[in-house]
Amino acid sequence: MKAFVFRPDKCDVCRECEVACTAACSTAPRDSARYAPFIKVYQSPQGPFLRLCKHCEDTPCVDACIGESLQRGPDGIIVQDEKRCVGCFMCNMVCPHGAIKTVMGLEKAFKCTLVCGDGDHPACVAACDRDALQFDDFSTTVKRRRTRKIQGIVKK
Amino acid sequence: MKAKAKKSIRQHVIIGNCIAAVTAANTLRELNPDDRIVIIGDEEVPSYSRCLITYYLGGMVTQNHLLSHAEKWYAARDIELHLATRAEGVDVKRRIVHARHNGRKKDIRYDTLLVATGSSPIFTKSFPYDPNGIVGMRTYADAQRLKAWARKGKKAIIIGAGFVGLKTAYGLVKRGVQVKVVELLPTVLGRMTDLEASRRVRDRLVRHELLDIELNNSVVATWRHRNAYVVRYQNGGEEQADFVVASVGVQANTSFLEGTGVQIDRIVCVDDYQRTTVEDIYAAGDVCRSRHIVTGQWIYNAIWPVAAAQGRIAAYNMSGQPQTYAGNIPMNSVDFYEMWITAIGDVQAEGDDIEEISFTSNTIYQKVKLRNGIPISFMAVGNVDGAGIIRGAIVGRTPWKEFIRKPQAQLLPVVNQIGGFLSKAVA
Repeated sequence: MKAFVFRPDKCDVCRECEVACTAACSTAPRDSARYAPFIKVYQSPQGPFLRLCKHCEDTPCVDACIGESLQRGPDGIIVQDEKRCVGCFMCNMVCPHGAIKTVMGLEKAFKCTLVCGDGDHPACVAACDRDALQFDDFSTTVKRRRTRKIQGIVKK
Repeated sequence: MKAKAKKSIRQHVIIGNCIAAVTAANTLRELNPDDRIVIIGDEEVPSYSRCLITYYLGGMVTQNHLLSHAEKWYAARDIELHLATRAEGVDVKRRIVHARHNGRKKDIRYDTLLVATGSSPIFTKSFPYDPNGIVGMRTYADAQRLKAWARKGKKAIIIGAGFVGLKTAYGLVKRGVQVKVVELLPTVLGRMTDLEASRRVRDRLVRHELLDIELNNSVVATWRHRNAYVVRYQNGGEEQADFVVASVGVQANTSFLEGTGVQIDRIVCVDDYQRTTVEDIYAAGDVCRSRHIVTGQWIYNAIWPVAAAQGRIAAYNMSGQPQTYAGNIPMNSVDFYEMWITAIGDVQAEGDDIEEISFTSNTIYQKVKLRNGIPISFMAVGNVDGAGIIRGAIVGRTPWKEFIRKPQAQLLPVVNQIGGFLSKAVA
């Protein structure tokens, strides 16, 4: 299973990932495509913050979904069936990454479902030329994080 | 002795057929491929999401989506399903559930029993249950009935402006029914809002010409008059409607547990392992209590994620793999005409040690309550972006001063006090 890893220390908020996400989603064969980008980088005085579905290992959003709209797909990606979404936003209430997005005019929740790049090479990661955003095997990212924790680079 | 020789095959019986029961059955099947699993449900249809019936009434989900757990879902997991079967009693000594199907008695033996019967709407003397016009909104049958009654030009009175009451009103208005909601409290959405949030929600809803919400009023009597129902209010007024929906609250369905020795204090008392006070009887979902994950107190937290988690934990314990459930915090979220409302934690907390931080603009209202510098509740109307981030701080007891220094916290207007996204102001 793969996961996104964001390294705020390397990000310079160039927003190339947002552009790439919009471009990639607009050609994807999905209705939701026109509501991209699903990735958003915020600049704050405390450093950049990435708002993107991380397709977590434990899935609070899937547990909270009253309409069975959010489901864990066979390849580990959390996919969404828009027809089943009633826009209650229970998923937003439990998402620790703030990844759920509203779209004006539609009473539905939207999130990244990795429709781009065969699900293996997301467009946002390909667009990042500073290695701030990576998409790796889950165990590898955990290992790397652990090493960095030991080295004292990150706190948690 | 024979039974002991065959002890590997056990019969797990689940009473109830909603999320707690279905999650439990699914988990039981994963853990015990050989055991027998029986579900007893008192409704005519297989499991469906009870939270969705008001959306079904309003035409926002189709019947196919609502009834997605078709009978083949049970067949694929080899689960024995008894529909339209009501449990009437439990014989603890002989380990038998007495049930009734179409007037005929059915006795079902159990090795472990899971009570997941949920709750049903409360009716009082002032508005007694009447299948022809005074109903609740809890099941698929209720939704079907209201759907049949809801025609253009009809009028409905809804007693209680809680989550179910307002969502039912919202659904009925979408069908062209004129709706009047009466609420005893000075706020809508019960304990999840304060006066300001309630005012915003009410203003948004009554902007629709068919919907009216009256607060600080209650119903003292209801009677049938020709083809309609007349409701008398506390302030003396009378009003006529084609049908009445009661949504003043729910009570746990525990009547069939009488005489079994299961401790019931309005709701079933369970421990952290979802066990009741009787051996091999477990409970999960709206029928039982759960812990408040921050304070550790037992509360009645009848929400979807809690029911699902309790069902899963109960299944582990029924399979002999002890697991405990830490609980959750009270929370709910709803949307009316694209105005989202989210409330997390003890929104109604008051006292000298409570500090309030709020943000107010034309479209956004957010409020955080702190106790000793630690956030305990969050309420948002209009903009609910990043509610889960602050929920993390409430559950993890992150001090507010530490929390607002985190980059992700800047998403919340209540933190940066700017309203829109901070990116607009800084980047």
